[in-house]
Amino acid sequence: MEKIFKEAIEKEALLATRRHFLSSLGTGIGALAMGSFLGSCGTQSAVKTSSLKIPPHFGKAKSVIFLHMAGAPSQLELFDYKPVLAKFDGKECPKELIEGKKFAFIRGIPNLLGPKANFAQYGQAGHWISDHMPHLSTQADKITFLKGMYTDQFNHAPAQLLMHTGSARLGRPSMGSWVSYGLGSENENLPSFMVLASGGKNPDAGKSAWGSGFLPSIYQGVQCRSAGEPVLFIQNPAGVNTDIRKASIDAINAVNQETFQEFGDPETVARMGQYEMAYKMQSSVPEVMDISKEPAYIHELYGTKPGEEAFANNCLLARKMVEQGVRFVQLFDWGWDSHGTSKSGSVDWGLHQKCLETDRAISGLLIDLEQRGLLEETLIVWGGEFGRTPMQENREGKTQDYFGRDHHTDAFTMWLAGGGIKPGFSFGETDELGYATVNGKTSIYDLQATILHCLGIEHESFTFPFQGRNFRLTDVFGKVIQPILA
Amino acid sequence: MILLDAGPSDWVLFFGHFHPVLVHLPIGMLLIAVIMYFFASKKSVPYVFFWAFISAVFSCLMGWALSQSGEYDENTLFFHQWLGVAVAVLSGALAYMTAYWSQDAAMARLIKPFLFVSVALITLTGHFGGNLTHGSDYLTAYLPQPIRGWVGMEPRAEQGGANEPAIRKIANIEAALIYQDLVQPVLKQKCWSCHNAEKQKGKLRMDSPAFLMTGGEDGAIIKAGFPEESEIIKRLLLPDSDEHHMPPKGKPGFSEEEISILHWWLKEGADFKKKVKDASADAKIKTILKRYSSGESSGPYLSPVFKMSISEADESDVKDLQKLGLLVNPSAKDQPFLEVNAVNAYGLGDKELEALVNIQDQIVSLKLGKTKISDASMKQLATMPLLIFLALDHTKVSDKGLTSLEGLRYLESLNLYGTQVSDAGLASLAKIKSLKHLYVWQSKVTDAGLATFKKARPGVQVDNGFKGKWPLEIDTIRVEEKMK
Repeated sequence: MEKIFKEAIEKEALLATRRHFLSSLGTGIGALAMGSFLGSCGTQSAVKTSSLKIPPHFGKAKSVIFLHMAGAPSQLELFDYKPVLAKFDGKECPKELIEGKKFAFIRGIPNLLGPKANFAQYGQAGHWISDHMPHLSTQADKITFLKGMYTDQFNHAPAQLLMHTGSARLGRPSMGSWVSYGLGSENENLPSFMVLASGGKNPDAGKSAWGSGFLPSIYQGVQCRSAGEPVLFIQNPAGVNTDIRKASIDAINAVNQETFQEFGDPETVARMGQYEMAYKMQSSVPEVMDISKEPAYIHELYGTKPGEEAFANNCLLARKMVEQGVRFVQLFDWGWDSHGTSKSGSVDWGLHQKCLETDRAISGLLIDLEQRGLLEETLIVWGGEFGRTPMQENREGKTQDYFGRDHHTDAFTMWLAGGGIKPGFSFGETDELGYATVNGKTSIYDLQATILHCLGIEHESFTFPFQGRNFRLTDVFGKVIQPILA
Repeated sequence: MILLDAGPSDWVLFFGHFHPVLVHLPIGMLLIAVIMYFFASKKSVPYVFFWAFISAVFSCLMGWALSQSGEYDENTLFFHQWLGVAVAVLSGALAYMTAYWSQDAAMARLIKPFLFVSVALITLTGHFGGNLTHGSDYLTAYLPQPIRGWVGMEPRAEQGGANEPAIRKIANIEAALIYQDLVQPVLKQKCWSCHNAEKQKGKLRMDSPAFLMTGGEDGAIIKAGFPEESEIIKRLLLPDSDEHHMPPKGKPGFSEEEISILHWWLKEGADFKKKVKDASADAKIKTILKRYSSGESSGPYLSPVFKMSISEADESDVKDLQKLGLLVNPSAKDQPFLEVNAVNAYGLGDKELEALVNIQDQIVSLKLGKTKISDASMKQLATMPLLIFLALDHTKVSDKGLTSLEGLRYLESLNLYGTQVSDAGLASLAKIKSLKHLYVWQSKVTDAGLATFKKARPGVQVDNGFKGKWPLEIDTIRVEEKMK
């Protein structure tokens, strides 16, 4: 008899490998630290995923809609008006500008390329906006431009990662995850961080651009599709009704609860939260994702066609999500990489097509949020992962068939509107050729710090302990852009 | 001579910078020795005095090294230096006395007076040392009233942190002196603490026009008429991470506006007597001046409500409300102000809303859109004195109910989109002086009613839905042509 007991204990001990031991040890300590940070109840806090947490400061924005034009739109054809560049159109780029610089495709000495758009000033603010964005120009006074943005990554994927996770390498949590982790969701039936992609492709950085990194996986972005089933794999399988589904989830979670008590891995708790959320989403998501019930004047405003996979539909969905209390909505639209290697990739025709797809929808979004009283609480961010060169691309040393520009890190334009941001303002300036920022230099970290600030989060103290050090979105950089705050 | 001109070597200053750290050792040891002499065994006292002596000698050496930087007020330094030396000598003497004189009754009588003198000396030395690093007004800067009055000090100027604007409001901006009224307050707030009578970092004083023009160890800091060549501007514009950036890391920096004004003053000849009206101002300067004359703050706006100190709501009351499905959360961490949101409780009616009575003094934001509440609840909302943000969209609220809201003194945003509110309701809302945003889309408000309201309250942003031409015609063919 004694032998049997002994054997049982030994078997049990064998089950707990060194890995289990280390993981329970590590997470135990981590959870303690997290508990003290959140001022709540240790590991259990991960269970209450949708419970609202508290911003450390008075934040003016309650939610964020980040409109990412994946591929990087040309600032020189949209918002950064450079008449001097037009004068030097076709001339060789001054050597001192490109000496020692590396470009993704430009080789040797390229020619300068004047702006391929017509500009005019709009609104009380006198913003320069090109004729590619006619609808947006009517909304000029809502917008604050950041014309002095710069980055240090000239390839799409790392630059997108830097923009959204604060690191060009994989593995860090995305901004939306940080925000969900810090503030939670208002709506208990919807995830706090949702992602919508259009343009036929996910961004180059892939799902890592909305991953949760080392934060509990419940905080990762939930990607929804605007055509077909909004979220894959949450509908009941054939022959399973809601009651059976609920019963099986309860059973799985009961097992998970036991596993959690045995090993103490917070990921188990996160998984339980995800099952619960998926169950709730079965009814809440189809409702929020259904734009067919929107009145005709709303479709007219955004230029939406129900059932289509389109950026315009995603804009309308973003409004619906924010209205329902979703904290962070991330939109990606692919196809802004205007190298000039094809007609659709040209900075005149191709870029204009992308603007036709987005200009009305973005402007409609601003108008719609405003008339619903949501704009003062919603922060809109528009931009790409870097800018485009004032020089025409000369891939393989040859002039391209179409007008195009290479990736550029030294200067690009982004804009913000809504919650906590001064309306009708412009910050930062580039030189006469639009090559580099001359004042109001704004790093990606500065932008991230500012977005967090608008939500009431102090980026320097908002950390998560991982592998022995406290990590934050802005790493060790970033300064809130004070002049643009309202 | 060449050596002298080169100034102290890095090594001297390196050790010098340890003086403020080391100096606390002899202070502590001396005091503990005195305490031990009176209240504990006298046996170990000589040892403590001996180590106090050793540490005091080292402190003196390093203090001397630090003084070589020449950044300190000579008078204060003289007293601090020689008092310090006296303390070192005295602690050595006391080590000797307590060791060898204690047994001798006649000599032992001398020890006590020396102990008192040593405490007095170390206090004085420490005080002068403090004055050297922090400035002579550091200790008493926050002396409260009425003691301030008793000792004959001026009342402390109402001042926030160093990040608060140095200039608040200038009534007659045209007659103001550029230096005295616009430049000096900023220098005083952000430069003087290190460049003053007692402390002259980089051998620079900035607390009077004459010193400002003299410059520091690297020469003049001002080149009148040429701001770009003036060291003072260059230092301000260096990147924060640069070691020559001023003010140094950790100290509040200049705002863009403050730099612009300083730049302007330098460009206008760095004239200490020039008035605003005698200088030519460009558009940027004019905007800044306009702001100074109106007294509005340049920083982000925050409702005055958040500066109030109010009591916290009862936690059990908050929990009861959460049971109704309401989100009840503080506006910010550790703040008593509460935000209530009914996004998960659209079934909420007038009766359920009564439960808010327990936290009515704390609510600053109330979102009741799409709920079943009606005019009956408006009286209750009127009893929430600190309400800033109120959303009543898609509810049954009407003009009748809105009359109750007139008394809300801090209400800034009111959402009435999708309600039965009409022009009569707008008339009562016009009485809310704090109102900034009003949303009346898809209500019964008419264009005429809106015009009347806008006339009465031009500062309020009213949104009645988008009425412009939409979508715009876009000339796509023209772009195709440009392609060629």
